Amino acid sequence: MKEFNLDNLERKNIYKVPDNLFENIQERVMNDVKADKRVPIFKLYWGYAVAAAVALIFGITFVFNWQTETTKDMGDQESYAQSKEVKTESEMAYETLKADLTSVEKNNQIVEIQRDEKYIYAQDNTAKEDKKIIKETVNAVSKQDETQMNEYLDSFTNSEIAELASNSTQDVYLDLYN
Amino acid sequence: MKIKDAEIIALMQNPRTQEKGLRALMDAYQSRLYWHIRRIIVDSDLAQDTLQETFIKAYQNFHQFKSDSQLYTWLYRIATNEALQQINKLKKMQKTDEDPSYYMQNLVADNVERDAEEIQILLQNAIQSLPEKQKLVFMMRYYDDLPYEEISKIVDMSVGTLKTNYHYAKQKIEEYVKENYER
Repeated sequence: MKEFNLDNLERKNIYKVPDNLFENIQERVMNDVKADKRVPIFKLYWGYAVAAAVALIFGITFVFNWQTETTKDMGDQESYAQSKEVKTESEMAYETLKADLTSVEKNNQIVEIQRDEKYIYAQDNTAKEDKKIIKETVNAVSKQDETQMNEYLDSFTNSEIAELASNSTQDVYLDLYN
Repeated sequence: MKIKDAEIIALMQNPRTQEKGLRALMDAYQSRLYWHIRRIIVDSDLAQDTLQETFIKAYQNFHQFKSDSQLYTWLYRIATNEALQQINKLKKMQKTDEDPSYYMQNLVADNVERDAEEIQILLQNAIQSLPEKQKLVFMMRYYDDLPYEEISKIVDMSVGTLKTNYHYAKQKIEEYVKENYER
């Protein structure tokens, strides 16, 4: 061909085109877009999931802390109860000692210091034994007469009373810290 | 009734009417974009996939569209990029010793209608023998009659370069047709 001018040529498309080309493309595009739109629903659920997870973490932390504090409180209470129990025992021991010191039998029974000490040391063994001893002692103390006690105390010399008092203090401490 | 670009944009920018807007956009531009892609890619199935991907990307990225630019320019840009990506994939799949333009000319022969004129087939073969940039400029100017300023926005080239490329492309095509036309 000697002469050819592009501008004079008809501009047309010569490729084969499938049937319903654009309908099919539009349908595929819309399906894809609608499938994509479902993604935010997932995102929404993810948001809830994250919120739930955070709430769960805080919840667990709170419960854990609360339990720890409760256990701590209970521990404190127990130790307080124990100390109270100890105090009671010591009080009882003191009472025992006092009872021993002040116990007077109707028939002018002579109280020996050593015997009192025996009672006190016996308390250190077991609580049950303590109770028994205390009961026995309490029984011995019954029916005291104030006048008789005064007379009885008067029968001691000052040095004897001092020695008795020092021993009883030591016994109380021993009972407290054992 | 033909819907205007402003209406399509308004529909696309509203989340409630976005799908309706996409329908309107496809109705308005599917033919032009399809033929733009088809001339680059030639293969029918691949061109359909590419057009589909173009619309999906336009829908997904419509928030990036700037209202001061032309809608068709933006759509052409997406379509051109998608088509070039497909061509690059094809090139990677080709044998290293095979001439790319020869491969494309075979594709033209397989895809043209039976009653296509020889000179039209020659024109398509001539276009496929051009370098990538010249091919793009020629097709957008010759078939779609796009202004150089708009082509410049689509392919990121200066107007001067585009004019030069179009001039060389036209010259090469005319020579090709002269040499190969048998009647």
